[in-house]
This record gives sequence, structure tokens and C-alpha cells, in this order.
Amino acid sequence: MSRPSVIAMENITIVETHSLTKRYGSGVLAVNSVDMSVRRGEVYGFLGPNGAGKTTTLRMLVGLIRPTSGTARVAGHTPGSPAGLARIGALIESPGFYPYMSGRENLKVVADLAGVGQKRVDEVLDMVELTSRAGRKFGTYSTGMKQRLGVAGALLKDPDLLILDEPSNGLDPQGMAEMRKLIKDIAQGGRTVLLSSHLLGEVEQICDRVGVISGGRLVIQSTVQELLGEKGVVVRAQPSDRAGEVLTRMFGPEAVVREDGYFHLKTDPGQSVEINRQLMASGIGVSELRPFERSLEEVFFQLTGEKQGS
Amino acid sequence: MIATIKAEWRKTRFRPAFFVTSGLLALLAVFAYGTNWYLATHPGATQRDAVSILTLYPDQFVNNVMLAGFPIGAAMAIVLGALYSGSEYSWGTLKTLLTQRSGRLTTWIGRVAVFEIWMAILTVILFAVGAASSVVVASFQSHAIAWPALLDVGKGMAAIWLILSVSGALGMALGTLFKNSAAALGLGLVYLFALQIIAVRFIDSINNGAYKWIGDLFDGQNTNALLHTFTSPVFGPAAPASIGAERAVTVLIIYLAAFLVVAAGLLRQRDVT
Repeated sequence: MSRPSVIAMENITIVETHSLTKRYGSGVLAVNSVDMSVRRGEVYGFLGPNGAGKTTTLRMLVGLIRPTSGTARVAGHTPGSPAGLARIGALIESPGFYPYMSGRENLKVVADLAGVGQKRVDEVLDMVELTSRAGRKFGTYSTGMKQRLGVAGALLKDPDLLILDEPSNGLDPQGMAEMRKLIKDIAQGGRTVLLSSHLLGEVEQICDRVGVISGGRLVIQSTVQELLGEKGVVVRAQPSDRAGEVLTRMFGPEAVVREDGYFHLKTDPGQSVEINRQLMASGIGVSELRPFERSLEEVFFQLTGEKQGS
Repeated sequence: MIATIKAEWRKTRFRPAFFVTSGLLALLAVFAYGTNWYLATHPGATQRDAVSILTLYPDQFVNNVMLAGFPIGAAMAIVLGALYSGSEYSWGTLKTLLTQRSGRLTTWIGRVAVFEIWMAILTVILFAVGAASSVVVASFQSHAIAWPALLDVGKGMAAIWLILSVSGALGMALGTLFKNSAAALGLGLVYLFALQIIAVRFIDSINNGAYKWIGDLFDGQNTNALLHTFTSPVFGPAAPASIGAERAVTVLIIYLAAFLVVAAGLLRQRDVT
């Protein structure tokens, strides 16, 4: 009876870890009992400050390092197994290519190892818009070009799961925007993307779900929407008693919270125009009316215990 | 496996280190021939012993070329081996290779296979340049060109290939152990040019050579013994070797296997960080 449910889970999740732990020989506990699940077809953001354990976790998922304890299944296989790796494309930390070879020749080496036809090399170069510079030596590439070649290398196998570890590292704002667009494009075809980053804006814009890791522990895993909480509207109006009556009449008492002279309304920010119109019609002066939404940054700092601006 | 070998070949065929080493080895052979030719035709020009011109003709080229195999050829092989395996860590390319579908051992076997092909290429270059140089000398000296037996050429090439392979494998093992080229290269060369020589001399000096058998287990001793089997009367009297050719070959093969197995074990077991 349990077999169908296992199959069902494998159909839903492409990465599943249970109590995944890595303690290095020096005694450093880099990853501490992480239970993580990435669903098929989603863009999963793996968030955490530098040194939180993101890269160590990803390295375990592709079999580069062995966990001290715990288990993981990636694309239905044990991490590092040839069958599993055949379905995974990965860019872990900086892209590793031979500096004396051209971008195209480097990809041909990877294609040979991945058992992929050489025709695919030109396809992925085109996808990352590197075709015109593919003949140049990798050692002469800019950081952005190196990152894009790394993504191209990860795409060679046309993988079910793409693991990208801080792909925007070292890129200028334009390069970051291009990388975001590239990842969005890659995710279009129903491919699963596991993206590690410490750039909250990037994750907020791209990801469906996020996992936040801090001090080696996965502190939360949820959709971006759940993490950000309910949206709302903040109103400041005079006279405030009459404003309270009007707002309570509009949304009900449970949706109106009065705090420090402000009304926090649990409602869609799209209602702002109607709120303003009703208050004005009742002769109430509105001095402030704005949508309320927690930023991922606020949530992140709250979860990781890091100080904002530090 | 074929895919791994193909990938390894693709990346090494463009690698400057292999071309530079091939060129250096060829130059070394030409330089050795040129110097000896000068010494042979200008007796008394230097303090060194006179060189017989007979040693420079094509029928002796195998014996002559063997001298380039150790320690210079071996040193070059150590450098190549250390660069070949160590730079995979410093460039971060190892993680790229290991996240493809080949397993770690398959990747390693493919790498060793291609390295051995390169050692064979270096051997062929050394012999080709040696043969060509001997023909040049014979032509200028108006000496008839006669070649050694094909079997002797084959044995000589196999011996040089084995010597280069053992040293290259040491370099590869050290590169894997240290996860970089510089330390591997440094230690490998220090071992070749100093450590083992000092160790062998020290061991041989204990109790009037009572433990010489231990010194005879070092790869350098066996390499020298193997090289000295390639000689002829025109090179002058040779000191009797304490190690026979067959034993030397056996010991060197054991060293080769040991270096490669240890490196494979390190690659398979250790984390790639």
C-alpha cells in the first residue's frame, strides 16, 4: 500500500531531504538537520546570509560532499548517483571551466561527459546569448559572461532540475537583471529551479517558494506569499473616531486595527480608492493612505536574527 | 568510459603545459646530442670525459635517448601530473566534471588513460627527435646509417613510458592529495631530486650497507637500474647493477599502480569543496 504514495511523493517533490547534516572535520556544524522539499516545476529560493550553509547543502544535493547524517533524494535518486546527475544541471558557486579553452570548447568537454550531443552546445550558448563570444578563451571572459557560461553548462543536459548557487554573484546591476530574466525564461518550460541567493529582491521577484537557512538550520519553508503575510492598507484620517466608524462599517471590526493613530486595514490594497472616496464623502480628512506589505527583507531579518543595515 | 576519455582528450589537446613539455623534451634531446657531438669532435675542449662519436650514431640512439628519461624527463612528468590533477581543484573544474553523469572512478580512469596517452606521446617525441638527431650526426660524419633492432627500440620506448608514467602518477597523486598544483609540484620535485637520494644514501650507509635492500626499493634506484640495462660497449665499461631489469620493471609497475590507486581512493572518498 505504501508504494503508490512513494510514487506520488516523487511525482510532487524533486528534492527531499530528511535531517540532512554536515559537520566538517574541524567540528564546524555547517548544516544542521535540514528538512527541505522542492516541488516539481517551481522556482525555489534558498535564502540565507553568507556562511549560513546554502552552498554546503547544495553540494550535498549534487554529491560533491557527503552528509554526516541524514538522507536526501534528488530527482528520485541518491545524490551523486550517475542516474540522478543525468537529470540535474548545476552551477555551484563560481563556474568552473578551463581558462585556456574557449567557452564553446569548454561546453563541448561538459557535453562529452554528460553524454549530450555537440549540437546542444550551440543551443545553450544561444539561450544564454553567448554565441558571438563563444570562441573567446574562458580566461578572458567578464564575470557576467562566466556566470552565463556556467548556466549554459548547467542547461546542457536539458535537466529536470536546475541548481543555481548564487548565480548573480559578482554581477553589476545590469548583469543581475539579465540573470533574473534568464532564470525566469528557464523556468518557463516547467523546469524546476533551485536558486540559492542572499539577494532578497532577486528571490522575491523570481521564486514561488522559499526556504530560509540560518546557522545551518532551515528556519522556514513556505510560499513567498505566506512568508510576506497578509497585505493591507494603512490609513491616517481626522477625526479619527468618525474615520474608525466608517472603516469598521466598510470592512468589519476584525479587519480594522487601530494603532498609534493609524488604522491598519486587512484588505486588498486595490480598495484604496474606495476607502478614500468613502472617507471623503463622510467629511473625513485623509492625511495618509498607503498599501501595507511586509518586504521579504523584513521577514528575512526577523527569521535569521540578523540586524538590518549591519 | 569512452565519453570520459573523449572529454579528457578534448581538454588536454589544447593545454599549453603538454605542448611546452613536449617541446622542452625535444629540445633537451637535441641539446644533449649537440653537446655530445661537440665534445666527441673536440676532445679536450672541456674537463669532462671524452665522448665517443660511436655513441651518437643511429644504431646507438635508443641507449642515448634513455639518458634523457631520468631525472629530467621524470621531473617533467611530475610537473605535468601535478598540474593535470591539481589545477582541477584550483580552477574549480573538478566540481563541473563530477556533477555530470560519469561517476568519480570513471572520471579518474578516463583521466589516467589520457595522461598515459600523453606519456606515450612524449616517449614517441623523445625517440623521434633522438633518432633524427642521430641521423644528422651520422650524415655529417659520413657514417653509414644502421638502426638498432626493432625489439630494442620497443623495449626502450616501453621503459621510458614506464618511467614517465611512474613520475607522472606521483605528480597526479600529490596534486589530488594537496588539491592544488603548486604544493604537489614542489614536493614531487624535492622528492625526486633530494629526498629519495638522501634517504637512499643514508640507508645504504647504515651497517656497511646491511639495509641496502631497503634503499633498492625506492623508485629512483629502480629507474636508474632499468636505464642502465640500455647500454653497449661503445659507452665504456658499466658498473654491475644491484637490481635486475625484470625486478626494476616489477617495482616500477607496483609504484605506478600504488600512486594511481591511492589517488583514486582520495578522489572517491573525499569531499569536493
